[in-house]
Amino acid sequence: MKKYLTVFQLSFQNEFTYRLNFILWRVRNILRILMVFFLWNSVFSGRETAFGYTRPEMMAYVFSVLFINTFVMSAPSNDNVGSQISNGDLSNFLVKPINYLHYWLTRDWASKLLNILFATGEIFTLYIIFRPEILFTNTTTFLFSGILVTIIAAFIYFYLTKIVISVAFWAPEQPWGLMFVFLVLYEILSGGIFPLDVLPLNIYSILKFTPFPYLVYFPIKLLVGNATYPEIVNIFIGSFSWLILSKWISIKLWKNGLKVYSASGN
Amino acid sequence: MKEIKLIYRYFSNSLQQAIFNIPIFSIFLVSKVIRVALFAVFIYFMLSGLSNIGGYSRDQMIIFYLIFNLIDTSAQLLFREVYRFRPLLISGGFDMVLVKPFNPLIRVMVGGPDFIDFAMLIILLSTISYYIVFVTKIEILSFIPFLLLIVNSLIIAAAFHIFVLAIGILTLSVDHLVMIYRDLTALARIPIDVYTQPVRSLLTFIIPIGIMFTFPAKALFGLLNWQLILTSFVFGLVSLFLSLKFWNYSLKYYQSASS
Repeated sequence: MKKYLTVFQLSFQNEFTYRLNFILWRVRNILRILMVFFLWNSVFSGRETAFGYTRPEMMAYVFSVLFINTFVMSAPSNDNVGSQISNGDLSNFLVKPINYLHYWLTRDWASKLLNILFATGEIFTLYIIFRPEILFTNTTTFLFSGILVTIIAAFIYFYLTKIVISVAFWAPEQPWGLMFVFLVLYEILSGGIFPLDVLPLNIYSILKFTPFPYLVYFPIKLLVGNATYPEIVNIFIGSFSWLILSKWISIKLWKNGLKVYSASGN
Repeated sequence: MKEIKLIYRYFSNSLQQAIFNIPIFSIFLVSKVIRVALFAVFIYFMLSGLSNIGGYSRDQMIIFYLIFNLIDTSAQLLFREVYRFRPLLISGGFDMVLVKPFNPLIRVMVGGPDFIDFAMLIILLSTISYYIVFVTKIEILSFIPFLLLIVNSLIIAAAFHIFVLAIGILTLSVDHLVMIYRDLTALARIPIDVYTQPVRSLLTFIIPIGIMFTFPAKALFGLLNWQLILTSFVFGLVSLFLSLKFWNYSLKYYQSASS
């Protein structure tokens, strides 16, 4: 455990090494949320409700997207694991007394902590600038459920991306192809641009069987308090199921991948 | 003439590379189609439940979005090589470009067109044509300012990319600047009229993504007056002139540090 704590500390410090890159990355996150904010702002001009949401609920959703997306998606492992398998740098880790996936999971959490600190400041600044009416849940059950489901979402995202990246074991020349597909699907289907219940019921029902809503949409739904108690139970069952399944598949694929890993390019 | 032969050679080489790896080409193309389609589906369903957003109907919003993609994809097709400029700079490879007997800007701007975007462009053009012919009623005369403004948008996009290249020479930072450009342009997936003031003016005249992406679509619908069309062209030419000046300035400070 102590070695992972050291990795966490070093990774946290490492994030400060490339300060300009980090600041530009945060600027990009704010820009992404601006379009969504103004789009929904325009939808609610002259309307009290739309798609079952009031303006304060929708504004809470939009602001939460910045926070949840930052928390779930801050993962430097995605930029490194694929290339380390492809160019053979993985070998350096395999000979060390450390679990490679745990190593990157620790680094991801260091990045999440730093990004969340900045996201909090950004949300506060945007709130001061735009002064939107925001309505979050005032029920502790929803709040704690939302926080717990968000933490699970970060783990699901980690394991899902490792499943996708493990393609590099079998196709080391193109580790990015499937990742691009995953990120494209994540961008829209996770609920990062719009609440998924805006879609027709049959499409929404199908989406609930994929892992994407459990990454952004359901955590926010709980934080906003826009759910019933039976829905909370269903969300928890879905989240835990995807966590267990994605972890199992990623570990299985990782073990099989290591059997075909040839350390080429090293 | 030499430059045209050179650009033809770059396009030919890129096409061969794209054909060489059909599975990867297909994966990226399908992903890009999914990305465009999913957001279009969202606009479709959202406006099916509402009469309009910012005064624009569902079909108009979809055409705004498709035209945004048309311009964005064209710019990516042409200027993809800008994304690869940093490795060229830090490896010292740019020295080899500078000593060759042609304008180095051609190499670093259009040296690696992306044929995935070319395939995407064909799909987009087909979809836009379908929408214009069968779904909306648009006057033939509107096509003249529309096409001219599309060319103007590509001129502004070129100016943007030249600025990024020049800043890259001075600071060695390219990647995030290009991505910020991409995120800024993504704000124009919806018409800039949807944004409230002063953001709307900022996105039109300071960061001219409104001129680049919203104006052509507005001209197509006959919603743009001639003064704004003229302003757009002046803006395009001035931005290109300034970017070229800045490029020449930056070249004087190129240090060839890694070579």
